Amino acid sequence: MKEIELSRRQFIKTAGATCVALSVVGIIPGIFKPALAAEEKGEDIKDVLKKHFGDRKIETGHVDIKAPIIAENGAVVPLTIISDLPMTPGDYVKKIYVYAEGNLNPYVAGVALTPANGKAELALRIKMRKTSNVRAVVETSKGNLYQAIKSVKVTIGGCGG
Amino acid sequence: MLGRVSGMLITLLLLSGVLSVIALRESSAEGIQEYTPNISPEEYDKRYKEFYGEATKQMEEEGNPADLVLDDGKALFKKVDGGKGKSCADCHGQNGERLKGAATTYPRYDAGLKGILTLPMQINRCREKNMDAKPWKYGTYDIVAVELFVKSLSNGMPIRISIDGPAKPFYEAGKRMYYTRLGQWNWNCALCHVKYSGHKTRANILSTNRHHADHWPTYRMAWQSTGTIQRRIINDCIKNMRVDKLPEYESEDIRNLEFYLTYKANGLPIQVPGFRF
Amino acid sequence: MAEIGKIRIRIPDAIKKGDVIPVKALITHPMETGMRKDKAGKPIPEHYINDVKVYYGNDLITSMDWTIAVSADPFMTFYVKADKAAPLRIVWKDNKGATFEDTVQINPQ
Repeated sequence: MKEIELSRRQFIKTAGATCVALSVVGIIPGIFKPALAAEEKGEDIKDVLKKHFGDRKIETGHVDIKAPIIAENGAVVPLTIISDLPMTPGDYVKKIYVYAEGNLNPYVAGVALTPANGKAELALRIKMRKTSNVRAVVETSKGNLYQAIKSVKVTIGGCGG
Repeated sequence: MLGRVSGMLITLLLLSGVLSVIALRESSAEGIQEYTPNISPEEYDKRYKEFYGEATKQMEEEGNPADLVLDDGKALFKKVDGGKGKSCADCHGQNGERLKGAATTYPRYDAGLKGILTLPMQINRCREKNMDAKPWKYGTYDIVAVELFVKSLSNGMPIRISIDGPAKPFYEAGKRMYYTRLGQWNWNCALCHVKYSGHKTRANILSTNRHHADHWPTYRMAWQSTGTIQRRIINDCIKNMRVDKLPEYESEDIRNLEFYLTYKANGLPIQVPGFRF
Repeated sequence: MAEIGKIRIRIPDAIKKGDVIPVKALITHPMETGMRKDKAGKPIPEHYINDVKVYYGNDLITSMDWTIAVSADPFMTFYVKADKAAPLRIVWKDNKGATFEDTVQINPQ
């Protein structure tokens, strides 16, 4: 009986020591990790918006995103971006920016329009890496910015339909 | 000894009784229901819509990449190929008029083959016999495109598969295949599509087997291309069961299975090309 | 293997002068992200459409820049104000330098 107890203690000791050793070893790859993690994390949406628009103020409204709440396949997510802003020669939607915030590179597409389009509406099918927000920013010819944000759940299918 | 024999006899009688009851049920309209899932197709549609909305349906109507494959199929249909200098259109009409509704009875029993003849096999048979052209490899782009075009000529017409007479054993074989457990997971088709249809596997809703055969060839987002029902069965369903050696296209088991599944869709209109995720 | 660059553009059948009409355009293209690997484990190089331009008559009315995050076999809908009888030309360019284009005629009544 005593012998068993001893060996059990022995086992716990050994196991504990192994754990400590492993965690110490774990620190070493930890040093290299930040570089990898940065690559995996990709660009942050805030940085991308800053790159595209600087410090200009982005207002909410005048834009709407139609997208499924749950996407059956992240490789094909249908989006429709609608804006009720005018499309007259003096005042029109100059560009629509589309972002999928969870992607490594959140910028999906930029669409430059002219008054000849008659209507600021656009449908595209995009790829989404994971569940995240989809964001559409609209830039008018007068330099105003408007945005809309919508969350889309991306599922990983059991069999994929 | 006598007791044992009579016991066996009783068992046999009981068994045959059960079998004949099954057979009776199968032959009636309710019989189809018997072997279809514990939820109705309407209930499945409802659950599907609640979970995913109508995005896929909308995309199918808006712009299906398989429409371009259909155009290719039409071009191939008119293209002269082989030693006799003929095209499909020479016999079947410039726009395939004479094939209107032909696809509704495929797959079907063929006496020459003594087995189930699928539409791709018929296309290749036509090519070999009537055009003296080389048969296409099953599952490749050209034959899928032509199959899609031929099927599209029957769009909106109900599927009417006959399982009477000599076709019956092949229907039974297909059904046996449907209920045969396979692979490392030890699953059969019925486990997902009869027992658990309408429930979720991870984030997917499992479909009912009523709608499985009416929309092929289909553009599948997961493939990012257009393929046939056999590609779906072999490269997705059977592969997901972790089967060691995948069956070949148009092998006997797969043909029987396709026959069984298409019979399950009897009465539903053909809608090609489909668009699935 | 499906060919790259097959195009279908769809516009409504009957167009009245001054109507704002939807234009639906589909093109076959793999839109490879550069993040996938083939069966042998080698990375598949990125291959995607990065530039789309729409001309109505001689005017450039819409231009898009796309990234790898646009789905394979890209589909798009946009609108055009049909105020003249002129061809509508859509030009796709990919990152390998290939150009695909197709034209439909807009004839408002």
